[in-house]
Amino acid sequence: MATTALTPAAPAYRSGLYEWATTTDHKKIGILYVVNSFIFFLLAGLLALGVRTELAQPGLQFLHDEGVYNQLFTMHGTVMIFLFIIPVLVGFGNYVVPLQIGAPDMAFPRINALSFWLLPLGGILMFSGFFTGGAAAAGWTSYSPLAQDRPLGMQGSGEDLWIVGLILIGTASILGAVNFLVTIFKMRAPGMTLFRMPILVWTILVTSVLVLMATPVFTSALIMLFIDRNYGGHFFDPATGGNAILWQNVFWFYSHPAVYVMVLPAMGMISEILPVFSRKPLFGYKAFVFATAGIGALGFSVWAHHMFTTGSVFLPFFSLMTFLIAVPTGVKMFNWIFTLWRGKLILSTPLLFALGFLSMFLIGGINGAFSASVPVDFALHDTYWVVAHLHYVLFGGSVFGLFAGVYYWFPKMTGRMLSEGLGKVQFVLMFIGFNLTFFPMHILGLSGMPRRIADYASTAGWNELNLAASIGGFVIAASIVPFLVNVAVSLRGGRLAGDDPWEGNTLEWATSSPPPPYNFDHLPEIRSERPLFDLRHGRTHPVAVLPDPGAAPQPTH
Amino acid sequence: MTANAQALAPAEHSPVAGLAHDTRGGISNPILGMILFITSEVMFFAGLFAAYFNVRANAPHWPPIQPPELAEHFNLHAAPWYALVLTIILVSSSVTCQLGVAAIRRNDRTGYIRAISVTLVLGILFLLGQAYDYSTLGFGLGDGVFGTTFFTLTGFHGAHVFGGVIMLSVILYRGMAGQFSARHHDAVEATSIYWHFVDVVWIALFSTLYIL
Amino acid sequence: MHPLRHPRNALLIGAIFVVIAIAYWVSPYLGSGHIDYAGITMLGALGIAMGLLFYILIAGSPNE
Repeated sequence: MATTALTPAAPAYRSGLYEWATTTDHKKIGILYVVNSFIFFLLAGLLALGVRTELAQPGLQFLHDEGVYNQLFTMHGTVMIFLFIIPVLVGFGNYVVPLQIGAPDMAFPRINALSFWLLPLGGILMFSGFFTGGAAAAGWTSYSPLAQDRPLGMQGSGEDLWIVGLILIGTASILGAVNFLVTIFKMRAPGMTLFRMPILVWTILVTSVLVLMATPVFTSALIMLFIDRNYGGHFFDPATGGNAILWQNVFWFYSHPAVYVMVLPAMGMISEILPVFSRKPLFGYKAFVFATAGIGALGFSVWAHHMFTTGSVFLPFFSLMTFLIAVPTGVKMFNWIFTLWRGKLILSTPLLFALGFLSMFLIGGINGAFSASVPVDFALHDTYWVVAHLHYVLFGGSVFGLFAGVYYWFPKMTGRMLSEGLGKVQFVLMFIGFNLTFFPMHILGLSGMPRRIADYASTAGWNELNLAASIGGFVIAASIVPFLVNVAVSLRGGRLAGDDPWEGNTLEWATSSPPPPYNFDHLPEIRSERPLFDLRHGRTHPVAVLPDPGAAPQPTH
Repeated sequence: MTANAQALAPAEHSPVAGLAHDTRGGISNPILGMILFITSEVMFFAGLFAAYFNVRANAPHWPPIQPPELAEHFNLHAAPWYALVLTIILVSSSVTCQLGVAAIRRNDRTGYIRAISVTLVLGILFLLGQAYDYSTLGFGLGDGVFGTTFFTLTGFHGAHVFGGVIMLSVILYRGMAGQFSARHHDAVEATSIYWHFVDVVWIALFSTLYIL
Repeated sequence: MHPLRHPRNALLIGAIFVVIAIAYWVSPYLGSGHIDYAGITMLGALGIAMGLLFYILIAGSPNE
């Protein structure tokens, strides 16, 4: 019986432009997602700097027209959500999930490529508004009647470009979700039962369910808005029988589960990183899985807490459901803390960002719990309190989690380590800048400063805090510099990573860095959620070696 | 089938037993992908239906056309007969589609082609019928929220039927080119599942717009 | 078969959302709010979609 020995050629990391443009390899597509998302991160960050520059002092100093200010914060929010945080987490999922389940690729590689390329297309469509008379300026939430095509509303094509761009991006998301679900359920390596999957795979699974179920509702809302704006529709026009609050209802039915889409994969990344850098297994794996599923499910029943003040909401139902979500989230918090407890902590950059995630997301969760109370929300709705909350969970939470993942998986993706020194500089600057920017917003919100205003009275007492927040914004911008330098320098001459620089637990560390196109030469036995740990400590055997039929039978043990 | 594959196949009485399966016993990837996509389409129509129920509940009378005497003119309840004919066409097409699937499952290529051709014709008939209905209705998209919701709901359903007609044409062509067999016909299964979904949405639409 | 592997139990997940939809329909009668038909429709459809989703994921998974 002949055996075939596989001796693949060394993988070429730098492939030609054509290769990158036409690839269906989940690893390259994952990298494309990440790079594309970071470009939009920088663009949306510049928009935020525009906002903060204007708000640093009372009076309209730099913008002659508040309409431009509205475009800045609208596009900042939209781009950060739909073109940065969701795609970058999906991109990491794209790269890591097939590796972590021992699969050679995603289930539908060509649809995977399509899902990616729709993103820059959608982004360009939305940004082209700036060049055609004004981008969308009705807030990322685009409430009617402001979003309608009428005097004092969004006349002009910017809002329509925004709608079409988002429909394309939403379609890409839905296709991606189908891809992830089929991959996770059908292509796991032998021995990897659902409850032996890494937590990141579980969070991507739940995220994909949320995307699949919620995004189409947003698509339908966008289509209804487009029909109202362009075909004489009356969905959101009370004068002819429509209902402006209907937009909010359908919009938030998607957008609330969307925030879990924005945070669950980052939580999954943290759940991979904390065990490795505490040298301990994740505390409470099963509880984690059920808590994630619980958050996903409960996330569908709280949407109207964004609409408490409209007068059309049954307040007790939504307030109760919102408070309930704190329970599974708390379970996860305790699991992460008990993973760290009495572990042998290795304070490298991924762990630092993970600790940043834990502390900042905790604050974000607590200030969110305040808003869940109806009377409190009636006072704080549409103030800077909400801006503080959303940035503590999305930046302090998701973005810090994302950077933890970047430092953790960069060696696997490129074969080189990122510099620890520059990483720590980035962390410190980003942590300080972030808190300087957003903590004062709690106080601003409590003292009544509304959100989405270009200017404020100098006698309101908000001057110093706004100035502090603007300075913090520039510190955040400064923190990106060591990161970009780090990536550029490490790509050229960083320390070679090898297969498993972190002594990881999961399957992606069982192959070369970067992996060959087909991912694995051979897989270890999978008998727990930590297959590499088991292999390293002799609890499982390495490659399953085919017995030689001609040899004498060996005693089995 | 090898003994191993038989052991891994789903139980005979399971609803998914008839669908194509791969060697590990799971449903084939493209068919699973299509069913998942359909669940997302359910939610798409849910958003549109949600809008309809919301504005209808807020309206003092339905259709909300002034004066109320004129509203009787647009009362779909009064004459659902034409829509009933369209319903019969679409339901029949679902039946013939399933007959086509059954045919290819037992390797009956001629039967398959016949059944899918009939399905395709019925699908096109539905679309033409819908277009004719639109032209005789007497109200448009801009006629208050009644017109807007009616045309959006039926219009997007029609667009999905159109997509289904394209898919049926493709599998008809591929069937005639001999690309399908009893062992290999994933595209047929996936298309037929989509077509049944389009039919179910129409039943919901018909009930909501013409009966409720 | 392990309960989590039985496809019928997957329909329970969908049923949970339908229950939430019914609770959402009924609860305004206990308070004084008006009924939000949009929300009820979306939650009910979610139950149907979720049930179908989990059913096919579990029934369609490999038997290992």
